Amino acid sequence: MNKVQDNNAIKHVTGESVYVNDIGVNDRLLYGKIVYSRLPHAIIKSYDLSKARSLQGVHTVLCSKDITGKNQMGPVVQDEPCLAEREVNFAGQAIFLIAAENEETAKKAEDLIEIEFEELESITDLKTAIQKDNLLFEPQKIETGNVKNALKNSKHHLSGNFFTGAQEHWYLETQSCLVIPGEGKEIKIFSSTQHPSETQSIVAGVLGVNKNEVEVEVRRLGGAFGGKETQGNHYAAWSALLANATDSPVKIHLSRNDDQLTTGKRHPFLSNYIVGFDDNGIINALDVEMNCDAGSSNDLTYAILARALFHIDNSYFIPNLKVIGKAYKTNLPSNTAFRGFGGPQGMAVIENIIDSIARYLQLDATEIRYRNFYQINKNNITHYGQKIENNRLFKIYDEIIESSNYFERRKQITEFNSKNEFFKKGIALTPVKFGISFTTSFLNQAGALVHIYKDGTVQVNHGGIEMGQGLNTKILGIASDEFGINSDDIKVTSTNTSKVPNTSATAASSGSDLNGMAVKNAIDKLKKRLVEIAYKSIQKKSKENKISKKDIIFKNDYVFDKNFNDIKISFKELINTSYLNQISLSATGFYSTPGIHFDKKKAKGKPFYYFAFGMSVSEVQIDTLTGAHKILRTDILHDAGNPLNEEIDIGQIEGGFIQGVGWCTTEEIKWDKNGKLLTFSPDTYKIPLITDIPKDFRVKLLKDAPNINVIKKSKAVGEPPFMHCFSVWLAIKDAISSVGDHKIEPELSIPATNEKIVMAVEKVKEDL
Amino acid sequence: MKNQSNIAFILDDKIVTIDFSEEKNLKPTTSVLEYIRLLPTKKGVKEGCGQGDCGACTIVLGELNNENDISYKAVNSCLLLLPMIHGKQLITIENLATKKDNNIILHPVQQAVVDTNSSQCGYCTPGMVMSLFALFKNYKNPSREIIEDALSGNLCRCTGYQPLIETAQNSCKGQKDTFEKNKNQTINLLKKINQKTKTISIHTEDVHYFRSTNLFDTLQIRKENPDAILLSGGTDSSHKKISEKHKPLKIIDISSIDDIQYFTEDNNNFYIGNGLNLEKLRTFAASKLPVLENILKVFGSLQIRNLATIGGNIGGASPIGDLIPVLFALKAKIKLQSNSGKRITEIKDFIKSYRKTDIKTDEIIESIIIPKSDKNIIKSYKISKRKNLDISTLSGAFNILLDDKSFVKEIILAFGGMAEITKRASKTEDFLLKKKWERRNIYKAVEILKNEFEPISDARSNKEFRRIATGNLLIKFWSETNE
Repeated sequence: MNKVQDNNAIKHVTGESVYVNDIGVNDRLLYGKIVYSRLPHAIIKSYDLSKARSLQGVHTVLCSKDITGKNQMGPVVQDEPCLAEREVNFAGQAIFLIAAENEETAKKAEDLIEIEFEELESITDLKTAIQKDNLLFEPQKIETGNVKNALKNSKHHLSGNFFTGAQEHWYLETQSCLVIPGEGKEIKIFSSTQHPSETQSIVAGVLGVNKNEVEVEVRRLGGAFGGKETQGNHYAAWSALLANATDSPVKIHLSRNDDQLTTGKRHPFLSNYIVGFDDNGIINALDVEMNCDAGSSNDLTYAILARALFHIDNSYFIPNLKVIGKAYKTNLPSNTAFRGFGGPQGMAVIENIIDSIARYLQLDATEIRYRNFYQINKNNITHYGQKIENNRLFKIYDEIIESSNYFERRKQITEFNSKNEFFKKGIALTPVKFGISFTTSFLNQAGALVHIYKDGTVQVNHGGIEMGQGLNTKILGIASDEFGINSDDIKVTSTNTSKVPNTSATAASSGSDLNGMAVKNAIDKLKKRLVEIAYKSIQKKSKENKISKKDIIFKNDYVFDKNFNDIKISFKELINTSYLNQISLSATGFYSTPGIHFDKKKAKGKPFYYFAFGMSVSEVQIDTLTGAHKILRTDILHDAGNPLNEEIDIGQIEGGFIQGVGWCTTEEIKWDKNGKLLTFSPDTYKIPLITDIPKDFRVKLLKDAPNINVIKKSKAVGEPPFMHCFSVWLAIKDAISSVGDHKIEPELSIPATNEKIVMAVEKVKEDL
Repeated sequence: MKNQSNIAFILDDKIVTIDFSEEKNLKPTTSVLEYIRLLPTKKGVKEGCGQGDCGACTIVLGELNNENDISYKAVNSCLLLLPMIHGKQLITIENLATKKDNNIILHPVQQAVVDTNSSQCGYCTPGMVMSLFALFKNYKNPSREIIEDALSGNLCRCTGYQPLIETAQNSCKGQKDTFEKNKNQTINLLKKINQKTKTISIHTEDVHYFRSTNLFDTLQIRKENPDAILLSGGTDSSHKKISEKHKPLKIIDISSIDDIQYFTEDNNNFYIGNGLNLEKLRTFAASKLPVLENILKVFGSLQIRNLATIGGNIGGASPIGDLIPVLFALKAKIKLQSNSGKRITEIKDFIKSYRKTDIKTDEIIESIIIPKSDKNIIKSYKISKRKNLDISTLSGAFNILLDDKSFVKEIILAFGGMAEITKRASKTEDFLLKKKWERRNIYKAVEILKNEFEPISDARSNKEFRRIATGNLLIKFWSETNE
């Protein structure tokens, strides 16, 4: 493939890149403010907006009654009022909106709002929600084999429960939206959203206008990670209501603390399990119940929980498996999509189980993992009935075991630990198998619109969002490759609902798979038209040779028959000729993923188009006295198919891994017993810094691993690397375990903070 | 006293003068970030958190130094108040690249970021580039440790940082850049501003701001304005907190008092001027006071340390102020100055209660005096969730003197984060005094120590952890002194 440079990089380093908050607007721009509930659950008894409304510099103050359309912004289920009516269901829920001339005035106006609440009992933690059985929807279940009998017949059993915590997205660009009203009912939205079509739909809904009046444009996002898949809609809806009411441009740009206080997070999960296995650690049966904290509404919880259930097996064949998923409603901001989308929460459970089996049998956990891997020709059907094709687990395992020198280092670590009382080292290898596709099958579709202008330059529009993952650079590479022209002559534009309609969110790692194919489809259509003209032109130049249409190729800015490559016309010349021949130089493209389906009732099917694989080995050192840890070395070998852009894919792997390391180590979200978020700012919520990454960090892509039937034989790479973080978490657990000579199972949930490490060490010492 | 009510600094190679009486959008409490973002051509500088925790707003200040040269330091523009950049060169992301024949020529650090794929979403990139630029100006072929330190105040959520290490290694080669080429011109402009500078005194509707370059004048202002808040780096009493304070508000900015920015020593003591920023202090401490350096290298970020001062950390009297336990262990004294005289008090007597000190309304901390003690073993420890740029969950600083038979002759066990102020574990100290410094006694002492404080549970940790960790720090201290 043509190698193209990141088409954003130069703009990024010079500060030229424009984000929502940087867009220049006329001086009528108003500051939009959301007035939200500080209480987790209460009845709004009365309120008075008159003082706030009459403050000098305030242009409007809106409440739910002022909504011209439908007071609703739930993306899947209609259970999220745009502004609270009678009741607030979480601290952070929007009640009123203010548009004022500046921030200071908006704040003063907020202070002038009089509101009386009657506090209600609230549920603000998962355990209480489970006790009260406060289910959000019917439990989900996937089952294969006969778990009850298999458990009975297993020689060994382990049971327990396991918790993984919430996680803040901490995109550097907080939630933002700018709305500019146009003539009539027209309205233009500049939004920091992963899902412009849904943003369009929600805005149309709250305003009570048709979708064709609403144009949503997205240049780029300053990070999203799932946090702007549905939540971007909210800021657009609120800004649009204010812009509509004042007939002025309005911008909402959240402060960091408001963003942390009011937005949803990664779903915390609490799971219970019983596992049955034999003397060799081969798992025969697993019975798991996974409980997650959905927060105050549905949002995307159903699909997130489903993905957790799909990934309970990670890379392991478990012949008898029953997994039940339950989502609980609590009085917290609705938890939402976050890189991995439930996958990490599901996979953490089985990784923890395997780790305990190893300790129980006094074997190396890596050995247990290997023994349980999905096989190539047998034992290769998942619990939901999908066959694992192109299984690369063994190939990756063989390579990484050798390149990481795993078994030798294991010995060295044992040696180190026997000589050191307070510093302990640990090592772990963990695999990743991650299903690629939206599990809601119809979402797997994408559109594109490609224009060629008379000067031979190309504009590519597609429905995906550039949020740092390098999608537009990948698309640029695809377009450059397909047209055979220099990438300097191609521009990938902002994403705009007026260019490509009815798109799916850029999510589920699907951005380049879906949009890349849609762009290719549009280019194929154009090339088909162009070949007709090219054929005539080339044939005219070469009377003696028989030019064949099917052999005409586009390469190095020229078009020619591959059998006669010295008889050619330039792409630019071809475009001009085509224009003069009245050929349409614009085409739409479309793609939908073939062959995927899932029967929710039977919980069987083929929900994923393919799987991404990878493995990592991490070595850590902990200070058992302070709980401080450092990652001494991490090796990652990851399967990205034939990479669309090797540098970008490596960047996704490194970045995803470190984000996962944050979730597994320092990123702890705490609420007090009244549901007040304690970690509401970067002062107390700690994402990884440069000093937290492995001192020796080796990331490689699996070589010679084409992924047939996907754009340029590539593989999706957005989410899967996140889960390489388990090798760090389990290496920490291994180090703790060494305190008790690996005889005692340490209690270590996610995140393994310094506090949890010290407490786990203390517990191991007590149990010795 | 002749005063001026305007400030001047260099931006885009020109002197910019701001007269607060004429600018309705600007106040002395306007942050440098807010000011920059009001300029139509400067949207590259980003706000990621507005509280000094992410570095997206990093800018570089160029300052005249004693060698008739310019020093460059990266700072968080969200924390800096606008008048604080008076007399300095303000360098933003837009100033790095140059244009030649309509082509953009990137600065070496920018080019390296592009070449190593060190930028993904791009939102942290301008701040990251500015930190790299300051590194470029200060180091040739920096070590990994120096690179990590230079970027420890910049959060990135996309890249995992790995390529940035290569970026720094590839670009910081000591090349001449355009700033070097234009240096003489810049020095002249800076001199032009600074030669004319008088005491700055700005009065807007609800904010009064004072700033002088000498201690005497500052003390006079302090005496006349006993209700003013003292501000040096402004990293703790940050811009946001100040903006939310009760109005009218009076601020005395002591960050430019030349007389109190020193580090000296004689046979008996080290003397640290109150106004010395923590990064400068760190470089002195590296060879002279390693126990202090040990804490300073994990204190905030480089951007924070470039602004924050030791006096500010003490004056704030935070229960978790990282330096205070160390100063307890070092038996530091505080020298206070007013226009009617000076006095010296011990640090333990100076810190009164939660965020309260013994300072009088006409006094300023002039310096910190640290007695030299060769025979004592002094160590400091910080426990925090994240290694860098994190406030400690608790910290401990210990000082022992052992006789030749390893019996404890003197002991100080000071802890931060365990009570409303830094406190010594006096019961544990009493127990260990005159006892042999050995495992058996240490583990007995740990049991006493665990019950000596009544810590709280908060966002950083539960109280149980704090209890266990105090004991663990004592064990750690013992294990390190026993090697």
